[in-house]
Amino acid sequence: MVNLTIDGKEVTVSKTATIYEAAKEAGVHIPVLCYAKKLLPYGACRVCLVEVEQMKGRLIPSCTTPATEGMVVTTMSDEIRKVRKTVLEFLLVNHVVECPVCDKGGECDLQDLTYEYEVVANRFKGEKFDLPTDEVNPLIERNMNRCVLCGKCVRVCDEVVGYGSYSFINRGFETKIATAFDRGLNCEFCGQCVSMCPVGAILPRPFKFKARPWQLKEVNSVCGYCGNGCTVTLGTKDNEVQTIRFNDKTGVNDGNLCIRGRFGVSYVNSDKRLTSPLIRKDGELVESSWEEALEKVTAGLRSAGSDAGIISGARLTNEELFLLKNLSTAIGTGNLDHSGGECYKGATEGLQETLGLQASTATFPQVEKANAILAIRTDFYETHPVFGMVVNQAVRQNNAQLTVIGDKQGKLTRMPRARTLQHKPGLEVNILNAMCRFLLDEGLAKTEGLQGVEELKDALADYSVEAVATATGVDADAIKQSAKELATVENAAILLAYGLPYSANSRELGLAAANLALLTGIAGRSGSGLYLCGEKSNSQGAIDLQILPVTGALGVTGMLKSASEGKLKALYITGEDMLVSYPDKGLVETAIDKTAFVVVQDLFLSETASKADVVLPAASFAEKAGTFTNAERRIQRLNPGITSPGQAKTDFAIFQALLTGLGAEAPATEAAAFTELAAVTSGYEMVSLDMIGDQGYVWGGDTLAPETRNLVAVAGGKAIEAKYQLVVGSALYHSGTTSLHAKGPMSVVAEPYIELGREDAKELNIADGDLVKLKAANGEISAKVKVDRRMPKGVFFAPYHFGSLELNRIYCGQTAIAVEVSK
Amino acid sequence: MFKEFAKGLSITLKHLLPGHSTTVEYPKVKLEMSPRFRGLHRLVPTQEREKCVACYLCPTVCPAKCITVESAENEQGEKYPKVYEIDLLRCIFCGYCVEACPVEAIEMTDKYELANYKREDFNFDKERLLK
Repeated sequence: MVNLTIDGKEVTVSKTATIYEAAKEAGVHIPVLCYAKKLLPYGACRVCLVEVEQMKGRLIPSCTTPATEGMVVTTMSDEIRKVRKTVLEFLLVNHVVECPVCDKGGECDLQDLTYEYEVVANRFKGEKFDLPTDEVNPLIERNMNRCVLCGKCVRVCDEVVGYGSYSFINRGFETKIATAFDRGLNCEFCGQCVSMCPVGAILPRPFKFKARPWQLKEVNSVCGYCGNGCTVTLGTKDNEVQTIRFNDKTGVNDGNLCIRGRFGVSYVNSDKRLTSPLIRKDGELVESSWEEALEKVTAGLRSAGSDAGIISGARLTNEELFLLKNLSTAIGTGNLDHSGGECYKGATEGLQETLGLQASTATFPQVEKANAILAIRTDFYETHPVFGMVVNQAVRQNNAQLTVIGDKQGKLTRMPRARTLQHKPGLEVNILNAMCRFLLDEGLAKTEGLQGVEELKDALADYSVEAVATATGVDADAIKQSAKELATVENAAILLAYGLPYSANSRELGLAAANLALLTGIAGRSGSGLYLCGEKSNSQGAIDLQILPVTGALGVTGMLKSASEGKLKALYITGEDMLVSYPDKGLVETAIDKTAFVVVQDLFLSETASKADVVLPAASFAEKAGTFTNAERRIQRLNPGITSPGQAKTDFAIFQALLTGLGAEAPATEAAAFTELAAVTSGYEMVSLDMIGDQGYVWGGDTLAPETRNLVAVAGGKAIEAKYQLVVGSALYHSGTTSLHAKGPMSVVAEPYIELGREDAKELNIADGDLVKLKAANGEISAKVKVDRRMPKGVFFAPYHFGSLELNRIYCGQTAIAVEVSK
Repeated sequence: MFKEFAKGLSITLKHLLPGHSTTVEYPKVKLEMSPRFRGLHRLVPTQEREKCVACYLCPTVCPAKCITVESAENEQGEKYPKVYEIDLLRCIFCGYCVEACPVEAIEMTDKYELANYKREDFNFDKERLLK
């Protein structure tokens, strides 16, 4: 710690703090343009100059100068004022002053400073630039005439996102920010540069000319897409979410967002939203009143009783899931579940059997300080992009060694020093087993206090590193090196994501990852963690609230099988377009057809909803109050920013009405529901709503200690013998099926595609954009081809989000699908 | 005292003489307005379009909240007011909109005959304001 004086105030700050940070701590405001909390100090703009007694004779940039013991800093004097004004005059020499038509007007740092320092005339003359604006992409507009060369976009894209789209080019007056070869921007469109730009040089196109910042009402809520639980600050006006505002003060994401969070929210304003309940009459879905629809649903569910099945999506709030569970009790059925193919089994069975937990053991920010990170599946970045950015920061700023176990290349494998254990599809467990075996053989495993060490040793007899290396096609030394690092470094993390396209081996992967976490000592150690991250915004909440079949009752697969045999009398589907997103479309189809009474509760008339007997219009996350629990157990509050369209109601209100209709009690408000659910949910007992502050509340604490320490042997997979194999997964630009109604993601990836490597493309004589057919055992899919360097030879990839592709005709929960390729 | 009284009355009488009246026979005769008079608003046109760039400063500064602006992008990629409306029933003719405008796109004319029969007719849209 160092002590210094700033404007007469004594402050004590850490040794790594700069003068600027010390001043912030002391409550002294210093103006900045190029400084950002999450970026490394840069010192480009020279607006933050201050006087330091010990360094008389020149002014010191406060954002790059470390605070030292006994410093006496003055942040404002006549001279400082004069110099800062001159700096602004310099910047305004070539900054085009078009504030009236610039969307940044009103929240522009340069505009505010110009006003504060009363820069009304300029003593310097120079040319204004007249560079063309970059409007090639649909989401981010760049106008370099307004740029002040603070370099924040360059740094955020490199330091945080790890994409590296931008760089400075040219010299002197001609200096500007450009993309590679100064072509139009073509990147992953996370829009981090948009949120960082202090002026109007980089702006979001969907918000172009829509409104002024001061007209927007800001509401903090939690993003409804993935399990990362990023805070999104909705900028609302005219009962529409106009844009997402920058906010690095609330939540776990530090102001970082991905394309879905920043540009994917427009589905809430879509005119295709359901606005009134629909009832099937004479084979047609017709609009009806809520009374009629609810009466029909109550009667149908009551008469079905224990033969009713409830399938929920994982994007309902905790309160709603709690009511749903009560609803299942009121109906008298235990057939309750929340995800297709039981893809959450890694947590509910894998972690449960080994660690006695059903959740990640640590929090996201801890990963920034990790020294070694193991990501299972490259798709981790695609399912949880903002957590991927934390991994990138650990790699770049903390020199963490990243190992990726993946069947293809991806964003994670391109990170600095990333070691890719690229294996044949479906063999992740084998590699994890080999790591465990290596640690046990070499005596690096921390076996103290672990149960089942001997049994595991015996079971891993066939998984020597060499044998696995041969079977999977991975370098043996790389496996050893990675295992060794995980076991020996101070802080390590194991990351694994689950979701609808990853239903294969979910339990096995959970077990294998937990075994490794136990042997390396990662599980339960402060600073380290095993992260099992759900695909959807409240996947963890659904597990916490046990939206799972009660003992002896049917889970999703059981329900669908039973329904397809005509044994279920009613199906209640809420928040999921099963026909598109669940594996095995054929089974889902038969199940829905054979069930006499199907209720679907959704935002849109989805493929599943159009087959229902009653459709209930529900509300999006932007219209709800309640809580989500993210993949690191952080309970965060949602706040309604807009009202629902037409007669649509929140899922909470619908469940309330149904419970009342069935003669059961229902809590009156979301807050009352939270109090009730907290009392009966393990881990939530001590949590009350007022404990959930700006940063949420992590139940179980930052480090969750395992209840048990059992090693459970698990068998690895077998690679399928086929020349061409298809693997399914999530695409970065989409999440589930909801993002298909959002303009942002759709403007970048509007159609399904099949991705393959260059070698295959050459061999099959296929070019980018060609139509290709993949024939599998139980069907055929056809889509345009995307050729890149990501896919290894013989492996194809298809994202699961698009209903038009009918991917789930051939994907029924396999790790890889053998396909025949034809044009 | 009488002297002062006569002096005052003489001024009054002087004004009673023909040609000394300040009253104008409206509507046959109309006064010429001072250049700083704040009457009906006018949007200033340029050759192809209105000068207004829809910066939203006038609706922001308006104390009576009588101005409605909706901006949009035209074919040339410029910002323009898709909607520009002034509700004259609410307007207090303070002239702040003129003062706030960064591009001198709105001015106040000398028109003051604004009476009308229907409420709708007090709503001046872009076309009427551009005249």
